[in-house]
Amino acid sequence: MCRKIRGVMGSQLVTIVLIAVLAAPSVIAGTTIEWWQFWTDPGIKPTIESMVAEFEQAYPDIDIKLSDLTWADGHAKIVLALASGTGPDVLELGSDWIAQFAAAGHLADITDHVAAQQDGFQGWGMATYADRIYAKPWILGTRVLFCNRGLLTRAGFDTDFAPITWEDLLNAAVKVTALGDDIYGWGSNTAEKHRLYKKFLPFFWSAGGQLFTDDGKYCVLASDRGIAALHFYKQLHDSCGFVSNQRGIEDAFLDGKIGMTISGDWLLKRIEIEKRPIDFFTTLIPGIEFTGRSFLGGEFLAVNAASKKTDAALKFIDFITLAKSQVAFCKANRSANPASVEAQQDPYFKTNPNLQIFIKQIFSANHPPVNPEWVNMETAIEEAVEQALFGSRLVATSLHEAEKKIMKLMQE
Amino acid sequence: MRWSKPTALALALPWLLTFAAFWLFPIVYSLVMGFTDYQLLSRGYEWVGLENYRQLLADPDFIKALKNTFVFVGGTIPVTTIVSLGLALLVSRQFRGRGLFRAGYFVPSITSMVVVALIFTNLYQRGGYVALLTELVGLSPPEHGFLFDESTALYSIMAMDVWMAVGYYMLIFLAGLKSIPVELYEAAEISGSGRIRQFFWITLPLLRPVALFILVINTIKSFQVMVEIFVMTKGKFDTSTMVYFVYEKGLTTQFQFGYASAAAYVLFVIIALFSVAQFRLLRRRQPLW
Repeated sequence: MCRKIRGVMGSQLVTIVLIAVLAAPSVIAGTTIEWWQFWTDPGIKPTIESMVAEFEQAYPDIDIKLSDLTWADGHAKIVLALASGTGPDVLELGSDWIAQFAAAGHLADITDHVAAQQDGFQGWGMATYADRIYAKPWILGTRVLFCNRGLLTRAGFDTDFAPITWEDLLNAAVKVTALGDDIYGWGSNTAEKHRLYKKFLPFFWSAGGQLFTDDGKYCVLASDRGIAALHFYKQLHDSCGFVSNQRGIEDAFLDGKIGMTISGDWLLKRIEIEKRPIDFFTTLIPGIEFTGRSFLGGEFLAVNAASKKTDAALKFIDFITLAKSQVAFCKANRSANPASVEAQQDPYFKTNPNLQIFIKQIFSANHPPVNPEWVNMETAIEEAVEQALFGSRLVATSLHEAEKKIMKLMQE
Repeated sequence: MRWSKPTALALALPWLLTFAAFWLFPIVYSLVMGFTDYQLLSRGYEWVGLENYRQLLADPDFIKALKNTFVFVGGTIPVTTIVSLGLALLVSRQFRGRGLFRAGYFVPSITSMVVVALIFTNLYQRGGYVALLTELVGLSPPEHGFLFDESTALYSIMAMDVWMAVGYYMLIFLAGLKSIPVELYEAAEISGSGRIRQFFWITLPLLRPVALFILVINTIKSFQVMVEIFVMTKGKFDTSTMVYFVYEKGLTTQFQFGYASAAAYVLFVIIALFSVAQFRLLRRRQPLW
């Protein structure tokens, strides 16, 4: 009996060894790249998978292992993975995370690899930390002004009217609000984390405000221009604001209750997918005298510094960021801002006036400073805006307090 | 049957190992981390002694969270206790549909906090039912909704919390009421005591252990308030609490594990002090009232 069992176990062992030996060459010959990405929506995921399949066909020796993240906890997962040394080879990163990971030494320096590609893409500034490049721009994101033409016309404006200056914007918002009947001129964000500052900063930049002095040593958030910008933003909020979170504002806009609001290309996607019968147009963010500046962010692809497959990872990133791949992605996701300059020339963008506005806005859009402490700085700015809009503090006082907090962060 | 020591130890070993690995070690480790400047993304950390605790006491966000937590605890516990006792007294009587009322009051406490918080977020919004009710009684609701106003946001969450918790504590009070001998009430009636006198001289004294159990449990739970804050306001509009502060510092943005651990231990000490005080009260022999 005992001999029988030993015999069975012996034959099983031989089988396992044989399988391992036979399987080994294929494992050794191929390289597997793990990619963590955020596009899980059923509308876009098949496009991501087909891009991966195309890459694997073009590079048969490289396999891609795709893992999905969500915006709710993706950042935390990436931090934990990088900190424990178990991160993937390729990461999709939001623009405001790059400095944090680069400063901690978790991203590979790809400056030399992308040196010859820089003219072909926009958004390098957001990927550059301490004069080195740590990620490649993929899909950019900016915001423009969405206007309800029907409400503006009812308020007495011509059908071709579009607000260009702050005065135009306020005047139009006041007149639309005066229509009454639960109609508001302006969609104003509540104190929503990671969103409120993105709505205020375009006004701040349009007023000529700077977050830091040119040498980067001092925060000058509470300059006269900064205070003027927040005063104007508060005026819009107080006199004409429909206050809600971003989703609530967009719902109200699509229901025809809001005259104007700042939003991104995802709203175009909603209007198209939900087949909303709203008569709207998009225009550039208004400024004091001319068109103003918007907020710029985006999705970037980076290589984990701990990856042993940097060359294969960079091949994959280059493939995903090819103009044709970006056009395919933008068509599937209704994204307006491919980082590739060549992709921007595709007829898909050229023939759509709303997408053209987004592409034009990129040229007058600022991104936040690439600073590992930015996540804390943005909180200070958001609290200042929140206090000015919803609290009891004066505009100047709240900005001065935020300035002090940011200076403290800079000193630390 | 009497187990030998090695056998007993062997049987307890799986639990002991789990306890040591997933409870004891993290508790001790976070205590140690509280004395370091450890951030998850940094390559190393330094021993900073009591610096994190000193910084906490000078951090206006922490002080605000501490104040809000005390407001939450001080506001919800008395109301929850009194309302749940009142409900228990009501549903302990015999009347038609008593089971329906008991189940109705209890259902919120077994519903997911996230679900309840989402429902109340809707109720509290501008033009929502709560705003309409407020207008009906002649008051003006906050312009942008109850959760978007510093003067109402925290109290609105507290009201929801009371609504959710009373059913559970009502059930515990009901069990306590059942354990009071009926003879005591019969004797009181024979001696001419009215309902109110019976309540203060029989019901309340004999419910003391139950009431104190509820106080201890509810205090610990209320000090740990977090989920409703996360779902409804994300700590905005002056609603940040201590656990939310720990979450924000430790698990978002910079992952400041050292600083967050120190804040967690401040909360631990506060809860421990309150619990010890309440347990001492529980051991007292003389009547509380």
